[in-house]
Amino acid sequence: MTRRTLAFFVCSPHSRTGVTTAARLLTDYYLWRNVGVEGFDTDVREPVYALFFPERTRVADLSDVKGQISLFDRLLVADERPKIVDVCHRSYERLFTTIAEIGFLEETRRQGVEPVVLFQTDATQSAANGALVLKTTWPDLTMSVIHNRGASPLGQDSLAVLARYPPSGKFVIPRLEAPVARALDDVGLSLSALMSDAPPANSFAVRNTLKSWLLPIFTQFQSFELRLELQSGKCLG
Amino acid sequence: MAKKPVKITKGAPAKGEPASQGRTAEAPVAASSAAVRPAVIVVGADKGGVGKTTIARAILDFLSLNDIHARAFDTETPRGTLHRFHPDETMIVDLTEPSDQMKIIDTLNTSQAKVSVIDVRAGGLSPALQALDEIGFFDAVKSGEFRFVLLHVIGSSISSLEEIAEIAPYVADANYFMVKNHVNDTTFFEWDPQTHAKYFEDVVTSGEITIPKLSELAYEQVELSGAPFSTFIANQDAQGRPAEHSFVLRGYVRTWLARVADEFERVGLLDLVGEKRR
Repeated sequence: MTRRTLAFFVCSPHSRTGVTTAARLLTDYYLWRNVGVEGFDTDVREPVYALFFPERTRVADLSDVKGQISLFDRLLVADERPKIVDVCHRSYERLFTTIAEIGFLEETRRQGVEPVVLFQTDATQSAANGALVLKTTWPDLTMSVIHNRGASPLGQDSLAVLARYPPSGKFVIPRLEAPVARALDDVGLSLSALMSDAPPANSFAVRNTLKSWLLPIFTQFQSFELRLELQSGKCLG
Repeated sequence: MAKKPVKITKGAPAKGEPASQGRTAEAPVAASSAAVRPAVIVVGADKGGVGKTTIARAILDFLSLNDIHARAFDTETPRGTLHRFHPDETMIVDLTEPSDQMKIIDTLNTSQAKVSVIDVRAGGLSPALQALDEIGFFDAVKSGEFRFVLLHVIGSSISSLEEIAEIAPYVADANYFMVKNHVNDTTFFEWDPQTHAKYFEDVVTSGEITIPKLSELAYEQVELSGAPFSTFIANQDAQGRPAEHSFVLRGYVRTWLARVADEFERVGLLDLVGEKRR
């Protein structure tokens, strides 16, 4: 059975909601499983995601057609290597406008590529509206929301806020205590390596806390991936 | 070699331009008779660099996508640009030469192609219309023997408006459209209303056609490929072999061509050439 190649768009129309963290976690999840993965950073001003994975990411300037080619033409290659796009808030509109203009989503199905939008939640109504617009525009698009409790807490009414988003899958990234969260800023820290064999440079407490934090996140990614494979199996027979 | 274009999925409608600013005639009624009268579409301008051949290429694609057999004449002698993109259906001619006029006009009724597209070289529109007038073509149009559509591609400068007075005597019985071509730039056509009105005193237009902008890189790549737009979209080279054109660029060209087709449909081009969509 042919497996569809996954193309993830981790996105938010707003800044500082945890998009890069989610893209990094997803990338490390695949690396932890020894799955080759390719990353794309759409933030040409501050390509932080690319700093974490310099060997396997490229920066794509979506305001330029050549940048669009370097992203979308590559995403359409069905090589079973997951592709992860960190869509910064500055590139959000441009990305989805281009997707519509060039008919990208229609082509993915023909090429055996499964696009997946991972929409980063925040407490604003405009973010929820953005997710609804995407789902209305492309009803067949696989979409899940990511609730990062540390980077973008939803407050007391989190359930009510989440209810504004399209009914779809949900990932929860738990909050980390500040000292441990600061350790994440180290671009030399590989979360996949940490899960496999903890680098001795980190303190025991930090290592253990990070592992405990990562495990449920990676488990959610794994469940999601399995669910997609099952759906894919139904589709492809 | 025959190149089969892809069918175009219609995209979003073209960005709205205001309705014709000149006096607008009622759209001529399409023939209802079974016998289809041959149609001639002239694409021209006296000003150079306004994109006449691009429009002619888009028309050939549009007709082909609607299963309408068309032929084309390129007056850019000796080496025609239109011929480069559509070699199979294009003949290079000199419209001022009687022998070439015969190749076009005398074969209108006998050719299998019931639509003939003439791409007039820069500076050649007025002489071409004059030549057609001298051989009695416009009388034949008036008597209903042929259909005639003139697409006058205009630039944003005032000199384009000055051309209108020169061609006015020849367009009385034509379906005369002004074409604002934005394919290579974003120049905004904004003439002073009084100036505009002055130039349109003596001419009746059937409407305006607006050609939207196409990404420069996409346009360049189609140029380099030397293939029709629809062939480029289908990811084929000029010989119809599989190519490796960027999907992004093909996507831009597909959307652009769909918008251009929307414009041609909006003005009823298929009806005007006597062909309904099949």
